Amino acid sequence: MIAKIFALIIFCIMFILIVSDKIERHKVTLACGVLTLLFVFGFAMHSLSAVITTLNIKTIFTEGFWYSAGSSEEVSSGINWSTIIFIFGMMVMVEGMARAGFFRWLCMELAKLVNYRPIPLFIAFMIMAAVLSMFIDSITVILFLAAITVELAQLLKFNPIPMIISEIFCANLGGSSTMCGDPPNIIIGTSLHLTFWDFLTNTGLIAGISLIVVIIYFYLVFGKKIAASGTEKIDISSMPDPKSAIAGKRSFAVSCIIFACAVAMLVTHAQTGLTVAFIGAFIAAVTLIAAGKDAIVLLKKVDYKTLLFFVGLFIVVGGLEQTGILEDIAGLIEAISGGKIIAVTAIILWVSAVASAFVDNIPFAATMIPVISSLAETTGININVLAWALSMGTDIGGSATPIGASANVVGTSVAAKNGHIIGWGEFCKSAVPATVIVVTVSMLIIFARYC
Amino acid sequence: MNKQIIIAIGREFGSGGHKIAKKLAEELGLDFYDRRMLDDLAERKNIKIEFLEKYDEEPRKFFGARSVDARTKSYSNSIEEIIAEMQFEYIREKADSGESFVIVGRCAEEILKDKKGLISIFILADNDDKVKRTMEKFGLDEKAAIAKNKRHDKTRKKYHNVHSESKWGDSRTYDLCINSSSLGLDGTVDILKKYIGERICKL
Repeated sequence: MIAKIFALIIFCIMFILIVSDKIERHKVTLACGVLTLLFVFGFAMHSLSAVITTLNIKTIFTEGFWYSAGSSEEVSSGINWSTIIFIFGMMVMVEGMARAGFFRWLCMELAKLVNYRPIPLFIAFMIMAAVLSMFIDSITVILFLAAITVELAQLLKFNPIPMIISEIFCANLGGSSTMCGDPPNIIIGTSLHLTFWDFLTNTGLIAGISLIVVIIYFYLVFGKKIAASGTEKIDISSMPDPKSAIAGKRSFAVSCIIFACAVAMLVTHAQTGLTVAFIGAFIAAVTLIAAGKDAIVLLKKVDYKTLLFFVGLFIVVGGLEQTGILEDIAGLIEAISGGKIIAVTAIILWVSAVASAFVDNIPFAATMIPVISSLAETTGININVLAWALSMGTDIGGSATPIGASANVVGTSVAAKNGHIIGWGEFCKSAVPATVIVVTVSMLIIFARYC
Repeated sequence: MNKQIIIAIGREFGSGGHKIAKKLAEELGLDFYDRRMLDDLAERKNIKIEFLEKYDEEPRKFFGARSVDARTKSYSNSIEEIIAEMQFEYIREKADSGESFVIVGRCAEEILKDKKGLISIFILADNDDKVKRTMEKFGLDEKAAIAKNKRHDKTRKKYHNVHSESKWGDSRTYDLCINSSSLGLDGTVDILKKYIGERICKL
């Protein structure tokens, strides 16, 4: 009991400190991780095995960590090193692509393709945000897309705010469609040993249908405003040349090849047996080798704070898991829902969506994985169905407010720094209905397909 | 004046610090930056001035904004922080252009701490004088004036300490702290002018 109390107090402190954003979040999770090791596992449980299970280092040295030939393994516990290594690898690759000018080139090329007309640009950028976010973290996608949108808005004299809000939403939606699109999905996928195809054929289908719905929705909400603001005649020759974005032909070609390899490896990983940890490590190694002497620069640009944030977070969640609190929560959900699949999935989906709108969806997803595992065991519901509900809830719920997902923060920050301040009211006015629509669509598809 | 001097003035609410800073700028023939720098920023960034004024020198709220690290940079979507950063950038730009000026608040003594010609001053005053000044300026009764002074000082302190390594109102933060009640506003201006003159000679 004392261990449960300690674990819960540490978890609540961690969550409050993350939400308040006063202390850098990696420091918060690491400090809370140390407290979990000392007080929960040490002082309260006297359990060295709980420490070993949670640190989970041994797993890195097993063959199954790097290569698993389709065997179904049990749900992992403790630090999810696969997630951390995969995210590290993608960070290195994305940095290489950004240095080569890939993202800027792609945005400019697409703008040129639609002749810089605001409405086609608005729709094209929404689709691009969704498609790119399927393979690249939505933070990077929005970082570049929002900056280009602001730049084009100045040249074409339209208000970039509606476009940025729509791009953010579509980036989060695109991220929900694959295993590598959004951190909650990477954690869910690696913890439950799901594949890229598992996500694509389940959350991917939901996201695809939802994308069509939200494009229509955003067009109805913002279309007139955008069309009215960008009425000036455009001198296309005065627009920046997309090729000017390319830093070097060689590095650009190399980064495109590496990206294509990463996509191919992810798409086929169920067939090849290569795990996402292997893919992450391999992509990082290839990018660093190709970068030559610039490898150090790429490594320096890696966001180690986020990786450390994950380490601390997994330890704290491990504390909750080892003490059985998450099983208690699962028991509570079971009691409320009566163990019925429709009620359980609806609760997981909507609770995840509402919670993710206000708190960081990464810790929420990490905490919920043991809960859905326990629920699946006790109720007999297929765990994958709960995983899709959790994935859609956390990924889409985060789109509702400016703080729900990291892409929202980056997009609104880039816009504001350029004088386009997006307050809560303006963001939520269009994002909340879009979120409710997509979560409802997700719920209906889940009900129709699995319940 | 060939040497660049930047006089950064921090102040307690109701201490007359703003008036002192303005008079110093007039008498020394320097540009003066206070809340009015927002007009410039509003024009540059095409933002409504009322919006900038609402968040001027305001600390970030407990809930409603987040920071995210991406590509070794931190991105915050706190409007208070973004507007503060816009002002800091503006102040840095002015300082880097070699201009000499007097600036009120906005953590200038921290933002420009590397500038050789920086003179940082903090103006405080006796409580009775601060309350009296606030009552006269805003037409308030004593109770309301006390509350207003307290509220503004709390906000300024929070804003300053979030953006600075040093503490607001702490004598170690500034070159000089002076109580405007002792010599009155004009007397304080005179003594500060002498101090600034001495400092310029030593630059």
